[in-house]
Amino acid sequence: MTEFKGRPGSAGQRPTGGDKAVATQKKQYFRRKKVCRFCVERIDDINYKDVRLLSSFIAERGKIVPRRISGVCAPHQRRLGDAIKKARNIALLPFAASI
Amino acid sequence: MRIYEELFIVKPDAPEEEVDQFIEQMKSVVSSSGGSVDKVDKWGKRRLAYRVDKYREGAYVLFQFNAAPETVKEFERRLRVSDMVIKFLTVRIDQTLKRLEKRKRDRDKRAHRKATAPGPAPAQPSMAQQMLGEPAAAE
Repeated sequence: MTEFKGRPGSAGQRPTGGDKAVATQKKQYFRRKKVCRFCVERIDDINYKDVRLLSSFIAERGKIVPRRISGVCAPHQRRLGDAIKKARNIALLPFAASI
Repeated sequence: MRIYEELFIVKPDAPEEEVDQFIEQMKSVVSSSGGSVDKVDKWGKRRLAYRVDKYREGAYVLFQFNAAPETVKEFERRLRVSDMVIKFLTVRIDQTLKRLEKRKRDRDKRAHRKATAPGPAPAQPSMAQQMLGEPAAAE
């Protein structure tokens, strides 16, 4: 448990590869401005049947990707969570995926 | 009356004609109680995300119907009783549909306003303003 992914301190330093360099005094790292995909692509309907869309917002283990990582805005993340949970209920998405 | 969506999973080894028969039966459940079936969609066999009753895959069937809440109760009861169906999910969608429609309408309106804004759009409101405002300004 030495390497703990997604801790608040380490979240900002992930090298996401971006267009803008954010320079701090000690360390220089790149951070891309995150945008909500649903806002940008104007996806109104986050449907539980749309497995392809939803599966891009679940992690390897089947967890819902937090919005600090994915950049989804709060209203959309709420609907996304609901949709993913519905999809899990009807076995379209896993509750816990193996590896 | 409300609009519902019912998605259920049929055992993969159930014979096709039996499934069709079951679907017809479920249709009559809705229509006999005064509802109407809008859509029946057979997705075919899909791999399940996890094991359900020892099955790793299942045939999905999607119903969309307009019915009273009591009908849904009966519908679900029948799904539970049927030994073909291994899992089901009922979602009420009329409110969602309404919301989506409103969003779409608002978006179209906005797009329309944007498209007409540089050209005649500002002229038209000002026409009305002119009718009201000009006599006072002219005098």
